[in-house]
Amino acid sequence: MTEQVSAQQVSAHKDPVVIAFANEVLDGFSDVCKSLRYATFLTDDGFEVASIAGDEKQNRRVASMASSMQALGDAVARDLRIGGAEYIIIAAETGYVIQMRVPEHAMVLAAHFDAAETVGKALSVARLAASNMRTMVQEKAA
Amino acid sequence: MAEHVILFAGPMGAGKTTAIESLSEIETIRTEATNTDRETADKDTTTVALDYGEITVGDDDKVRLYGVPGQRRFNFMWTILKERAVGLVLLVNNDAADPIRELDEFLEEFGELHEKGGIVVCVTRSDVAPTPYLDKYAERIREVMPGRMIPVFTADARNGDQMRTALMSLIANIEITAMIADNQERAA
Repeated sequence: MTEQVSAQQVSAHKDPVVIAFANEVLDGFSDVCKSLRYATFLTDDGFEVASIAGDEKQNRRVASMASSMQALGDAVARDLRIGGAEYIIIAAETGYVIQMRVPEHAMVLAAHFDAAETVGKALSVARLAASNMRTMVQEKAA
Repeated sequence: MAEHVILFAGPMGAGKTTAIESLSEIETIRTEATNTDRETADKDTTTVALDYGEITVGDDDKVRLYGVPGQRRFNFMWTILKERAVGLVLLVNNDAADPIRELDEFLEEFGELHEKGGIVVCVTRSDVAPTPYLDKYAERIREVMPGRMIPVFTADARNGDQMRTALMSLIANIEITAMIADNQERAA
């Protein structure tokens, strides 16, 4: 379970300003990483905030699944007493998914890359996107 | 040693996580996230993947208790967890906007577990909302699942004894179902 509380008063997925931030960050994300096939910001409890690519139904479903995955990752890390889960990688035959929490916020970034990308670069740009999202939300709250 | 996998399902806020917590002999595994859907249930956190606990019944029968998320958007977890389950504890909070409709919806989703072993219904939070009475639940169950024996209890999810009574009733049903199936197989 995440302990951090988002600075925003309205839930992220219902806050038009946060949704606009998320769209802006995702646009920048796809500009710097051509192997990005799909990405979504979601609330910890599985509501889509914003996505690039994908249809509405798929985006909602991915948001729910990514929320469950994040919570399972946290539960494993907690049970093994190895600290908080930083990120989760699902490697498949033709690509992989990286997901990580937006630092200090009850929000998660899930991104699907094709196999052409190196895990290192994908991880690095995903971190940057999550960090940018945190900065924007914090600036809004300030 | 026999093993049973039992699911705890029901709407958000019915007490599934609490029920598993009050029954489990091991430290439970929980997957909760900050709840942003306060309109549906006014609580701080909500289960987004599963809860897990264990209890030993009799000498060495292990019962694995899995709680599923209450929200339909997590129904992929329902499908995954249903596969191994042989029984269902369906919790319905009596203070829900329309608890009988919730009963209907969850029986529709999880009713097949009756054939695999059994179902019990636990009506929670009847101290907060005394109606509908249990006979309304029983009546509705008879309508949607005629001919099936599905016990209905009122229970406080925080009360281990009450939850244990409901669980034992379910396990008895599962064992009877298994015995009947066994006998039929032998007779055939």
